[in-house]
Amino acid sequence: MGVLDEIEAVIPRLRRAARVLTRDRAAADDLVQDCLERALARRHRWRGEGPVGAWMWKIMLNLHRDGLRRDAAHLVVVTGLPPAQAAGGGAEDRLALAEVEAAMARLPADQRQALVLVAVEGMSLAEAAGILGLPEGTLVSRLGRARAALRAMTGRGGGTGDQKATAEHRGEAG
Amino acid sequence: MKNAGTVAEEDLIRFHSGALTGAEREAILRRIGGDPAAQRLLAEWARQDAALRTLAGQAEALPPAMQAALDAARTEDRAGRWPVPAPPLRLAAAVALLAIGAAGGFLAARTGVAGAPAGRFAEAALGAHAVYVTEVAHPVEVQASQSEHLAKWLSKRLGHPIAAPDLGNSGFRLVGGRLLPAETGGPAAFFMYEDASGRRVTLYAVPGATAGDSAFRLAERGATESFYWVDGTLSCAVTGDIPRDDLRALALAAYDQLI
Repeated sequence: MGVLDEIEAVIPRLRRAARVLTRDRAAADDLVQDCLERALARRHRWRGEGPVGAWMWKIMLNLHRDGLRRDAAHLVVVTGLPPAQAAGGGAEDRLALAEVEAAMARLPADQRQALVLVAVEGMSLAEAAGILGLPEGTLVSRLGRARAALRAMTGRGGGTGDQKATAEHRGEAG
Repeated sequence: MKNAGTVAEEDLIRFHSGALTGAEREAILRRIGGDPAAQRLLAEWARQDAALRTLAGQAEALPPAMQAALDAARTEDRAGRWPVPAPPLRLAAAVALLAIGAAGGFLAARTGVAGAPAGRFAEAALGAHAVYVTEVAHPVEVQASQSEHLAKWLSKRLGHPIAAPDLGNSGFRLVGGRLLPAETGGPAAFFMYEDASGRRVTLYAVPGATAGDSAFRLAERGATESFYWVDGTLSCAVTGDIPRDDLRALALAAYDQLI
């Protein structure tokens, strides 16, 4: 399989992940299109360091991070946003999708990226850590914070996760 | 902290991500069996995963714009029209990596960015980086393909000879450069580099000394860091949001070539 075939093969997966990263289908496809064009422009300089797929993921996540920096909305301080109302009844099997979507949008970008690679894409911790350029232990604690914040914001956990998420947000915005 | 009784949350994360096997996995399964809080947490994470996968939707056929970009690339490759090959690496960058001892004692004093002239210089470098690094359409004024013209033009405007250092040994390729107003009111030279995964670093240079010595200093703004130094008649800063050791290697390579 040539580089172009490998690039093509990873795109459907990038698009699914981008939808969760951006909350918006059009924005997601813009992100993937940018990623694709960058990869195509550089394909002859790519010297085969690791799989093409991992390279594409890195390009897309870098673009996503840069895009957020450009977008001032990302710096909105989340302190004070109340957790969503606790869902009534017992532990229902499905979380309200809109709630999860809104909560994801409020996660710091690095937590969102970590969660998307592991939870949506189903990557192993080692693979995701490699793409994010993190030690595996750092990824594990980041995932812990992301899941706790998500739990708190969907009204299903204590307050601790929310506080952690808020602290990290401040760090990122500062 | 989470109240998971006997099972640490980090172990649960590893377990949930399928990172544990064999005896390790057996052991944690036993502990989870006696830890209702851990069981609830795992169930909640499974619901999170299901919700996120639903939000991601189905894998679909490529939209026309993506298909067109790929088709164009395939046509181009079949016709054998390859884009510009990478420029040959210069030896200087390799030498720079050996020159750690020579780099002003390399003490990398961490400084607050406010206040002193050196701090204002670093602040200007970080500011220029933040503005241009996210630029998609026009990150530079003069492309790397015209690097000779770029060097001549900037040297003339700065009144000081300057050419973009070659950072190819570290995997960073010159994108191009532009002229900027410096914090001193005079001109500044600004070069942008990019690696294969799209990470960008910038070099900001102003003629004249803005600090008293040639020590490498480190300034930071959020996740972005800047190594800066004064070399007699030129103040320089290498700025980026990459691991500090990588940034330092780039700064040393630039330092060596800008002498």
